[in-house]
Amino acid sequence: MSTFKLPDLGEGLAEAEILEWHVQVGDHVRVDQPMVSVETAKAVVEVPAPCSGVVTALRGAPGDIVPTGAPLIEFDSGTVVGSMPATSDEEFVESARVGGAHLHADARGRASTRERVMPAARALARRLSVDLAAVQGGGRAGLITLDDVLRHVDLLPGSSGPGGPGGPGSAGGPVSGVPSPPSGALGAANGDAGANGANPHNGGATPNDVAGPGTAEPLRGMRRAMAHSMSLSRDQVAGSTVCDDADIHHWTRRGDYMLRLMRAMICAWRAEPALNAWYDATRHARLLRKSIDLAIAVDTPGGLIVPVVRNIESKTPQELREAVVAQKQAAHQRRTPPEDLREFTLMLSNFGTLAGRYGIPLVVPPAVAILGAGKVREDAVVVEGKVLAHRRMPLSLSFDHRCITGGEACRFLAAVIADLERSD
Amino acid sequence: MVEAIAMAHGWEMQHDADVVVIGQDVGVNGGVFRATAGLQERFGKDRVQDTPLAEAMIAGMSVGMATHGLKPVAEIQFMGFLYPALDQIVNHMSRMRNRTRGRLSCPVVIRTPHGGGIHAPEHHSESTETLLCHIPGIRVVCPSSPARAYGLLLASIRDPDPVMFLEPVRLYRAMRQEVSDDGRALPLDACFILREGRDVTIVTWGAMTIETLGAVAELDQRGISAEVIDLATLSPIDIETILDSVSRTGRLVIVHEAARNVGVGAEIAALVAEHGLYDLQAPIQRVAGFDTVMPLFRLEHDYIPSVQRIVDAVQLTFAD
Repeated sequence: MSTFKLPDLGEGLAEAEILEWHVQVGDHVRVDQPMVSVETAKAVVEVPAPCSGVVTALRGAPGDIVPTGAPLIEFDSGTVVGSMPATSDEEFVESARVGGAHLHADARGRASTRERVMPAARALARRLSVDLAAVQGGGRAGLITLDDVLRHVDLLPGSSGPGGPGGPGSAGGPVSGVPSPPSGALGAANGDAGANGANPHNGGATPNDVAGPGTAEPLRGMRRAMAHSMSLSRDQVAGSTVCDDADIHHWTRRGDYMLRLMRAMICAWRAEPALNAWYDATRHARLLRKSIDLAIAVDTPGGLIVPVVRNIESKTPQELREAVVAQKQAAHQRRTPPEDLREFTLMLSNFGTLAGRYGIPLVVPPAVAILGAGKVREDAVVVEGKVLAHRRMPLSLSFDHRCITGGEACRFLAAVIADLERSD
Repeated sequence: MVEAIAMAHGWEMQHDADVVVIGQDVGVNGGVFRATAGLQERFGKDRVQDTPLAEAMIAGMSVGMATHGLKPVAEIQFMGFLYPALDQIVNHMSRMRNRTRGRLSCPVVIRTPHGGGIHAPEHHSESTETLLCHIPGIRVVCPSSPARAYGLLLASIRDPDPVMFLEPVRLYRAMRQEVSDDGRALPLDACFILREGRDVTIVTWGAMTIETLGAVAELDQRGISAEVIDLATLSPIDIETILDSVSRTGRLVIVHEAARNVGVGAEIAALVAEHGLYDLQAPIQRVAGFDTVMPLFRLEHDYIPSVQRIVDAVQLTFAD
């Protein structure tokens, strides 16, 4: 607040008469703006504002005689910078409430009403057009992770394809400390890719079923499982394959190749146990198995399925035959129980019943070996210096070279051949 | 709001004889913005002291008074003139409690106008709160309404530790609000939820509540329901309230007048990224002043975030 007093207007006069006010109370005046006209003895003089501010009081009315030095006008010159308006008449309306979540003990522990999602998972879900509300969060406190989104769209090993035939239903987490036995559906896709390609019943797809250009057929069920397990094999296994033939010319009973192959593998296992094992790459550990759970490739119209025959070393030939027949039937009827599709220790693909001599079977981890048997036919062989026609079975043994040495593989194959070449 | 501030001074001086007011022109003149009008007449020259134009001295005097039992409330006329006082604030006021192992505290309030928008010259439109928020040992408070100015100033004076009280100049006379002079303080270190909403959380403070609430009205027209949080205490940040809101809305936009670079908005964004990332459905957006000095008055409204910029930022959080 400041008071402007009537100044000596320079003529030594003691007083002046107010003629007219140019400002009113409440006006915002600027420096040098005329405020009042006063008449001295000689002339009318305009008195300018000494500073900017708001007029708060006028001392005197027109006609009043004001002595020099008396208060003339009161200013509120508080706001000397900027253009601060007089207080607006606008009402301030609001309904604020104190947040202070940390001040209220009971408010702790936020209960998110939305799904909590890892940002990368959210981005992936957006790209895959996945509704996050439908995804089960498997992370801490229900957090939706990348794996949860992948599992939701059935793109993760170990995920169970909804309604997929032969789906292993292995709900166990993908992380496991011990060598996690492969599920049978995965194992079903073992390495007889060559034979499978030649199979007219390959997934039941006839030329009429082939989709037109630009449309994609989603892989389902066992076919999708095969894609998964083959990717797993490609990504993890250091595969190596050795091939040879077994001369089976002297067999007294012809026919049941499967039983002879199984017996040969049992013999070979006794000679070289290293191939009947699981390999845990994360721990660089191998686990030699004390019995052979043999996965047998079965080709079906819906795709490849590989049921497991357990403990083949302790079964009689009759029991083995029955077990194999039962599993083949179950596979064709798509009712192989999930537990018969996992935890195999060794694999066998008798693809020669269709076509093909040698192949490069692919090992599905954590198993470490697979034996493929090709088409039996008469070969020209040299026996004691003479060329003779003998029936021979081509064999292809693939093994995971991370865990199996070449020597072990060859000893195993030699033992298989030795048993197959027995007449009985 | 300026009257609410004067009212809070009056109440506390009336009820606590230790409270004194110091600063250039706070006495006879009643403060550059009239925030201390009438106090000297009411409480005398001992308790309402005009000081020379010397900010370092005002702050140093406050430290001395506070360590000897008084509760000084000091006015710095504009935030751009605060910097000479920073030596006293950083090196003494903020760490007196720590330095004396808790024997002495510094119950000082330093009030200063904050922000632009009133066509003022250079140095009169600063919003450099981030400098203050970085100093350990002091609180930084910024009210956004007359009622909060009253309640938060009372709380700041009563607090046993130093408080920087930033008063948005645009709000001094922007709107009228009935404030009852009942001496009731509002909590420090707590946000205020100005409006509840479902789809996006907007955190702001000070005068930017004007543009933010304007943007919210426009967003309503577009079917977007925004929750508005007034940060109020800029340091320490009540992050719990913000996280709680973000967990419900899934989106966060931060609006401040200060320059973007290393602004308080960056700290809020970092805290939400640390503790609430999994709730976010879109990247956090910041709407801030530009990384340059506040321009003179012809351009100052291009600097201050506009309603449109806030609306655009909110729309960005719905972009994909």
